[in-house]
Amino acid sequence: MTAVAASIPPSWYLLLAATMFCVGLLGVLTRRSALYFLMSVELMMNAANINFVAFALYYGDLTGQVFALFVIALAAAEVAIGIGIILVLYRNFGVTDVTVPTEMRW
Amino acid sequence: MIDVFSYVPAIVLLPFFSFLVALGGGKYLPKGGAFGGIAATAGSFLLSLWVLATVAGGQVANRTIYTWASAGGIGPTDVELSFGILVDPLSALMLVIVTLVALLVHVFSLGYMNDEGETGLPRYYAGLGLFTASMLGFVVADNLLMAFMFFELVGLCSYLLIGFHFREPGPPSAAKKAFLVTRFGDYFFLIGVVAVLATFGTAQFAGPESFPALAEAGEVAWTPGGLALDTWFTIVGLLVLGGVVGKSAQFPLHTWLPDAMEGPTPVSALIHAATMVAAGVYLVARMYGFYALSPTALAVIAFIGGFTALFAATMGVVKDELKQVLAYSTISQYGYMMLALGAGGYVAAVFHLTTHAFFKALLFLGAGSVIIAMHHNEDMWDMGGLKSKLPVTYYTFLAGSLALAGIFPFAGFWSKDEILYEALVHAPGEPLLFGGYLMGLLAVPVTAFYTFRMVFLTFHGEPRSATARDPEPVRWNVKGPLTVLGSLAVVTGFINMVPVQKVLGIEGIDLLHLWLDNHWGGIEGLSSHHYADLGPYSSEYLVGGEVGTVLVGAAVSLGLALAGLGLAWRLYGVPSPTEHTAKLGGIKDVLYNNYYLDELQVWLAYRTEDVAGVANVFDQGIIDGVVNGVSSVSLFGGNRIRRIQSGVVSQYTALLTLGLVALVLVLGVTGGWFL
Repeated sequence: MTAVAASIPPSWYLLLAATMFCVGLLGVLTRRSALYFLMSVELMMNAANINFVAFALYYGDLTGQVFALFVIALAAAEVAIGIGIILVLYRNFGVTDVTVPTEMRW
Repeated sequence: MIDVFSYVPAIVLLPFFSFLVALGGGKYLPKGGAFGGIAATAGSFLLSLWVLATVAGGQVANRTIYTWASAGGIGPTDVELSFGILVDPLSALMLVIVTLVALLVHVFSLGYMNDEGETGLPRYYAGLGLFTASMLGFVVADNLLMAFMFFELVGLCSYLLIGFHFREPGPPSAAKKAFLVTRFGDYFFLIGVVAVLATFGTAQFAGPESFPALAEAGEVAWTPGGLALDTWFTIVGLLVLGGVVGKSAQFPLHTWLPDAMEGPTPVSALIHAATMVAAGVYLVARMYGFYALSPTALAVIAFIGGFTALFAATMGVVKDELKQVLAYSTISQYGYMMLALGAGGYVAAVFHLTTHAFFKALLFLGAGSVIIAMHHNEDMWDMGGLKSKLPVTYYTFLAGSLALAGIFPFAGFWSKDEILYEALVHAPGEPLLFGGYLMGLLAVPVTAFYTFRMVFLTFHGEPRSATARDPEPVRWNVKGPLTVLGSLAVVTGFINMVPVQKVLGIEGIDLLHLWLDNHWGGIEGLSSHHYADLGPYSSEYLVGGEVGTVLVGAAVSLGLALAGLGLAWRLYGVPSPTEHTAKLGGIKDVLYNNYYLDELQVWLAYRTEDVAGVANVFDQGIIDGVVNGVSSVSLFGGNRIRRIQSGVVSQYTALLTLGLVALVLVLGVTGGWFL
């Protein structure tokens, strides 16, 4: 398995990661529902994880994999907080549409 | 061995502390903080005496205490701005004069202010303390910039004290006038200070690296546009002279001084005798090594001085108020000092400064005593016959008047005679100086006349009002200072009996000459002989050589003074004197209105309104405009830019993304990714 993964050139991994990141970014920019936001952010983070792991494999170094683990833990925490925010949002405005609450501005 | 010079700052700081104490706690202290002021000035006086004794023992000090800024100059040298002390025979003498007069004025104020039930005494004593401290700081200053700072402080204090009775209409306006007129002169002084710093890279008064020494050696770091050194020195000297003319009330900036009589009388004594007005003349004496290099500046000083001496004396002749007469006499006497300085009579000027400090303080305090007795009526036509009611005041006042009029052997005779002698022997071939001498000589009988007109009207004849018949008695705190100063007015002249020495050939009785000539030690380059060597003048004697000239000069000035005195006696020494000024016809009005100079100045002020308008437009438009412009640009920009904060999270994300893309693009282009 490792041999197969190592035989793929790194640029493919990078392309995959870039595509995933752009999909996530597009989701954040175009969607209105906060839940979609959470999912899109998850996609973007995992795109970063792919990069980490791919380079770890390429250089034969474990540091990138350790970072990926950290990012996964971070993503879990982020989702917990994000869900909390969305709950409060829904309780106050009755929607999960992020364009509705615009109180926090000048 | 105690180093007395490390206590010199204490001389300055003691009155400053009394200022702080009176200001902060004067309300809770007995007598409104007067005792703090008396203790402080007494301490300063004792320290000054100690310093004087040490200087007489041959020790001097020229030290920098604190350098508060240093920077690269225009020339090769660095400019250092510092505070320091310069204690040499001249400043040691001046320290004693200032502290003694300040002490006596403080004591006198107990009688004039406290006993008369004035309010606002803490403010008064705070002002006196700061006034004394600033003048003492000015006296010990070792460089021109420090001198300028304390010069300005002196001006500020005069403003505060002249306007002491600020609820009446007169004093605040007089205070403003004093402040503005002297500030007009100080403006030139400030330019002069900058010019000195730019030219020499130093503003020190003494030592081999001082600006008079550098000027003498012709070592300048910079002159504007390749100007000849002599011309440039003259210009700088005249610029500094602007401040002197303002502070020492010389023509044409003398107009503030008569109005300053609105201040309390002890303050007038302090201003006229020891502090503010003396500051101008002292400054010229302090940097005399610089002025001596410029014959033109000296001639101008002499001419202004002589002119002012005569000009002010004529106005004193017609005044009705006691303090007004004294005010014009002050202007006139400082004119004499300027004449002496311009005539190369450095010692004569310092001599007259000393004697004048004592007899003018005496006359003002005597006038204060009369004013107490007269319930603050200053009109001499309401007085008369006070001689028997106020004997102490009368005899001390008479001593002061004889000194002012220059009658042998009182203090003023010796100093005024020496001034006229110096001017006379240096005058041949110097038209400006000769003019100054003639006017100074003409002022002698006028001075004697108005002085004794004042004495006769005040003290002699029949009482002309109910108050004069039953004047209020004065206490020890008035009589004490008067007695001290009265004795000094009699004996001060004996410190410098040059005519006696020259005529009788007794050596060593010209103490002040020896003192200022570093006979007992001093700083190299600051001696009267050195100044005489630098100066442009040579002496030419009239008939009978030196002795003959001395005798003729003394006889002429004494004769003229006696003539003036005699005329005053003839006209006003009668039981019921009447006004004789009407005989002068139209001249009387001119004199009474001070040659309409106040009107001229007001007229000039209106004529130059356009200049002020342009300056105003520049100030409001350009200076303020830049400041206001900067603030309104940021206000307007902030107002517009805050609109992108819409509260919609998606838009923030979009901006964030766009920013990131832009950043990557910029980095890419500059990093050469796309090439």
